[in-house]
Amino acid sequence: MGRRPIISGQTDRLLAALLKDPQAWQHGYTLMKQTGLQSGTLYPVLLRLCDQGLLEAEWHEADKPGRPPRHVYRLTPAGLAFAREQTAPAGRTINALLGAKA
Amino acid sequence: MTRALPRLIAKALMRHAARVMPSGEKNWGAAMQNELQVIEDDHVALNWAIGSVMVGYGERMNTLLQTWYARAALALLIGVLALREFFAPLLIFTYRTQRLGLAHFLGLRTAGDDYRRLIPLMDATPAWLPLLWVAAGLLFLVALWRMLRRMDGSVALFFLAFALDLAGAVVAKSIETSTGVIATPNLMVRAAGEVLMLSAGFVLWRMTRKSTVAD
Repeated sequence: MGRRPIISGQTDRLLAALLKDPQAWQHGYTLMKQTGLQSGTLYPVLLRLCDQGLLEAEWHEADKPGRPPRHVYRLTPAGLAFAREQTAPAGRTINALLGAKA
Repeated sequence: MTRALPRLIAKALMRHAARVMPSGEKNWGAAMQNELQVIEDDHVALNWAIGSVMVGYGERMNTLLQTWYARAALALLIGVLALREFFAPLLIFTYRTQRLGLAHFLGLRTAGDDYRRLIPLMDATPAWLPLLWVAAGLLFLVALWRMLRRMDGSVALFFLAFALDLAGAVVAKSIETSTGVIATPNLMVRAAGEVLMLSAGFVLWRMTRKSTVAD
C-alpha cells in the first residue's frame, strides 16, 4: 500500500479550489480570491505542482483587448487523482493528525 | 495622486519581481506581473506585488542553494561548527592528561590567550559535558556527510546537534557562574556562534527540503 504524502494546508486549499471545476482553466488572481492565499504563498505552490506534473499551465489571451496574456492553470489527470485522494475526508484527517499546517 | 501611489509602487515591485526570478522561471514572473493588470484595487495590487517579490527572491534562493558552491560553503560552515564542538573537550582532555604543550597551544586560541585562566572552569566541568559536546560535533559531521551524499535526515541530525550544543551551553553557563570564570567574555562572539549555527540550519533545511507538494 502506497504511503499518502503529507501536504500543506495551503496546497490542500489550492487543490480543493482547482477541484471545484477541474476542466476549467483558472487564473492566479482568481485562485487567490478562492483560496485566500497571498501571491507569495500561492505561486510557489503552483510552481511545485507544475514541476511535479500535477498541474498544467498555459498562456491565454486576455478577455479585454490591450491587456497582456494571462497564465492559466488546471489539474492534469495525475493531479486530479492526487487532489481527489488528498481532499477526501480521510486525507484531510491524516494530514491534520500528522500536523500539516492549516 | 495618493490613490495612484500604491499602484505605482506595485508596478515597480512587479518589474523587480519579474527581474529577480531565476532564468528558468521567467515566465512565472511574467505570469504574476500580467495578473496585476486585472487587479483593480490598488492596495490588493500592492499586496500582490509584495508577495511576488517574495516569490522571486524565494525562487532565486532555491536556485542558488542547488549550486555546488552553495553546498561547498555550507559544508565548510558545518565542518567549522563541528570543529568548534571538539575544541573545549580537546582542551579539557589535554589539560587533564597533562599534555600541557598542546594545552598551551590550544589556549592561545581562547579569550585571554592562556589556558591557565580556564583551569577552575575545566576542574569544575563534569566528565559527561565534554562527551556531550563531542556527541554534538559528531552529529554535525554525520549531518554534513548525509547532506553531501544527498541523504535524508541531515536537518534532523543538525538540529539534534544544535540542541545538544545549547544544553551544553546552559550547563557550562552555570559552571561559569559558580567558578566566576567566563570562557568567552564577549557576548557578541557567543551570540554570533549561535546565530551562525541557526543560519546554517535554516540554509540546510532550505537546501535539502524536497520539491514536494508539501512545500
